[in-house]
Amino acid sequence: MKSNSPTTSQIDTQINHLACPDCDLIQAIPPLKNKQVAYCLRCHASLLKHQKNSLDRSLAFAITGLILFIIANLFPLLSLKALGLTQEGTLLSTSLALFNTDQILLSILILLTTIIFPATTLLGTIYILIQVKTNRINAYTAPIFRFLRSTDAWGMLEIMMLAILVTLVKLGDIADVIIGTSLYAFCLLIIALSLLSYSLNPHDVWNKLRAKNGCSL
Amino acid sequence: MTTARKVGLVSCHFCQTLSKLPDTDDNINTTLRCPCCQSYLHSRLPNSLSRTWALLIAAMILYIPANTFPIMTFVYLGEGQSDTILSGVIHLYAEGLWPLALLIFIASIFIPILKLFTLLGLLLSVHFKSHWRPKDRTVIYRMTEFVGRWSMVDVFVIALLVALVQFGNNATVTPGFGALAFAAVVILTMFAAHTFDPRLIWDTIDNNGK
Repeated sequence: MKSNSPTTSQIDTQINHLACPDCDLIQAIPPLKNKQVAYCLRCHASLLKHQKNSLDRSLAFAITGLILFIIANLFPLLSLKALGLTQEGTLLSTSLALFNTDQILLSILILLTTIIFPATTLLGTIYILIQVKTNRINAYTAPIFRFLRSTDAWGMLEIMMLAILVTLVKLGDIADVIIGTSLYAFCLLIIALSLLSYSLNPHDVWNKLRAKNGCSL
Repeated sequence: MTTARKVGLVSCHFCQTLSKLPDTDDNINTTLRCPCCQSYLHSRLPNSLSRTWALLIAAMILYIPANTFPIMTFVYLGEGQSDTILSGVIHLYAEGLWPLALLIFIASIFIPILKLFTLLGLLLSVHFKSHWRPKDRTVIYRMTEFVGRWSMVDVFVIALLVALVQFGNNATVTPGFGALAFAAVVILTMFAAHTFDPRLIWDTIDNNGK
């Protein structure tokens, strides 16, 4: 077996067969070079991409993101100075303030989209990538990764960033708005998260799982 | 040029592994699991059209209170001022903050309306087995799915204002029912876009072509 195992060049010339997720057309994908993306011939959906060191880079961005996420939650993002009083705002206090005004559903929505989903995305991605890197894939790897993929759209920190900018301009006229320490960490966190979603190629994780479970494309 | 369904294959929604469909007629009712990632396999999303219709109609109904009820009330030194989505945009424009007014207009009025109508259009086009520009319809679908979540920005602004403007009896901001209804519209349309299966657009073309 060992003498017959495919060499790297043979693996590279393998042709993948994929069905387009948007139009179901079966297509043969030739081996891709670094930074190449395969698009569907018929509906132009992106089918497959190849990125060098996708998993290593993603792990680095996810760990950076987690550290920044903790810092961003520790200190106030914004403070408002008016009428001799100062009011501080963090991600958690935003959710709590809504809870106190009896808008429990909105409060849960903010809590999920700005704290719980981003936190699970970061922690889950780190966990999965470490498992894949150390070859410790177990029965929970696939369900956790599926959960992460399907909740990806519900982490809305970048939308929160835009909302913070809008609030800054809106309140700037009527009161003194002080930018908190955490806002810098928050800006960097948004960058880390976008780099993470750009660098993470889910296909690389699925390939490892396929190899483990003996499936092929 | 052939589709996975025509050659008896089904593609996994998550990991894109192709599996063979069993040779039974009631493929819809049998539960298949992906051998690679254990997720449920569906050749097409189950009840895609009726689920999308239900979510879309619910969103359309909630769109009315979202625009007629105030999204927030700003009380300053005993004087209260309630704003709906539209009056909020008009106020921003009147205060000279037109870039902000434009941003909120796009995120809170333009995108939700566009999204409701594109989903309606897509559903109707599948129902009436339209052959009109399938590629463009798929691209429109992908854009709808991508852009929808940004409508949430207004809800987040309200949340931040509520958290920051808390000065006892002097100045407070309280969220209104409109904010909740609007958040529900955004969430429901996000789910509606998610349950719509764009492969249905292509099925009409594939079934009539040959």
